[in-house]
Amino acid sequence: MIRFRDASVVYDGGVRALSNLDLEIGDGEFVVVVGLSGAGKSTLIRAVNGLVPLTSGHLEVNGREVPGLDRTGLRELRSEVGMVFQGFNLVDRTSVLNNVLMGRLHRVPTWRTLLGRYPADDVALAAAALDRVGILDKARVRANHLSGGQRQRVGIARALAQEPSIILADEPVASLDPPTSHVVMRYLKQISNELGITTVVNLHFLDLATAYADRIIGLRAGELVFDGPGEDCDAAVFESIYGRSLTADDTMDKQAAM
Amino acid sequence: MTTVDRGAVTRMPEPTREWWRPVTWAVVIALAAWSLWGLDARWERLLDAPADLWDLGRLLFSDMAFERTGDLLVDMWESIAIAWLGTIIAGIVALPLSFLAAENLAGRFTTLVVRQVLNLLRAIPEVILAIAFIPLLGLTPMAGVMAIGVGSIGTLGKLFAEVIEAIDDAPVEAVDAVGGSRLQRLRWGVVPQVLPEISSFLLYRFEINVRASAVLGVIGAGGIGGTIAQTLQFKQFEVAGLGLVIVVVATIGVDIVSGAIRRRILRGPSRG
Repeated sequence: MIRFRDASVVYDGGVRALSNLDLEIGDGEFVVVVGLSGAGKSTLIRAVNGLVPLTSGHLEVNGREVPGLDRTGLRELRSEVGMVFQGFNLVDRTSVLNNVLMGRLHRVPTWRTLLGRYPADDVALAAAALDRVGILDKARVRANHLSGGQRQRVGIARALAQEPSIILADEPVASLDPPTSHVVMRYLKQISNELGITTVVNLHFLDLATAYADRIIGLRAGELVFDGPGEDCDAAVFESIYGRSLTADDTMDKQAAM
Repeated sequence: MTTVDRGAVTRMPEPTREWWRPVTWAVVIALAAWSLWGLDARWERLLDAPADLWDLGRLLFSDMAFERTGDLLVDMWESIAIAWLGTIIAGIVALPLSFLAAENLAGRFTTLVVRQVLNLLRAIPEVILAIAFIPLLGLTPMAGVMAIGVGSIGTLGKLFAEVIEAIDDAPVEAVDAVGGSRLQRLRWGVVPQVLPEISSFLLYRFEINVRASAVLGVIGAGGIGGTIAQTLQFKQFEVAGLGLVIVVVATIGVDIVSGAIRRRILRGPSRG
């Protein structure tokens, strides 16, 4: 359960990235957050695992009040929340397996992680995560030898290896081509459904959002302007989110055809 | 475009007046003149130098004492061992210091202090360090090892810190996002990114240290330098000459091997 109450984030320099947000995301939901760049999507996601602290208001994640957490508490919370990044954020110069095992850092004794001697159970878990996204055969390959789509699947496997209750995906397909984007979105959706993992995905292509989301949240200038099922998200709703009518730039399929 | 507008050149901005050019030249020339005058070198001897050099060369290299090759190779090996051990010691000390000297990992005050320590270490020549270690460790190779070790910390620490400051923040953010500790952030966010460059710098420093350790022998800190200095002193030119040849050949050999390894490290494996 993720619950924002009157939550605001103001960055240095006065930019209001989140403005008095009230939002509740239930367990196992698959939610897509849409909005222009700068609308606060990334801030919303990073607030959930405490990478961006709230300036004011309340945020409860899995029964913890995030703004009140100390370092240890934050690490505890983050170990339960997987994160998938736009730029994949893999360590290029080490193996795919080592990247996925990073998802176990909080569970394995520190000395073992420092030496890279992970227990067999954790290696098995990492292998299972790689298998789930279909790239187990790449386990021993260096991460920089993979294609973009494969790299993002490693990112998903790393999040899965945490055995998380929540996965946050920040523009996970923004660096990928359309067919690969669909593959990655299908994996995220499938994992959420089968394992009951609450998933929050940031997207800026509306067609991709309506194709996968159970629920769409529209942000505009840090404020919630839409919250409802994907099928309710029509042209009028779109205008309220983007402040203008739909153009080819806003849908992935049309943009790919250009 | 079919025609070129020749008038454009007249509308081009005037070159900026570079007042510092003549000033720089004046300073360089003045310093050179001052040095010449201050050194009080005896220039007339320069005319005899080619002939003297020829004589010295003949003494050293015309009739080398090849029966001493074995001993001299053992001495050279000692010099290389001194350089290697010293470089390893320097690397072990420099790595943690470089984490503290990198602005993206440590606080502003810490980096400032650690950088000054590194600068200080860099400013002391190895020969001075060896002279300082000889009373502690005696006229032994260990004095050479410590001189090279301590003398390399400054440069290595600074180079390592610069490599660390150039890393990509994304993997570090990923370690934070999975709930990793600060140590884990270093181990899995930073170290894999910097390891190739750091190993390469370590090998490069080893190449430099092979030269330095040969020199340190002259003041008695072990290795082939000592043998060369002694044989020159006792006018055993045929041994000293062979020693010099061995130093040059071995140094070039170390450079070639080490350079090939460094290039391979930075290129990375072609696959897997």
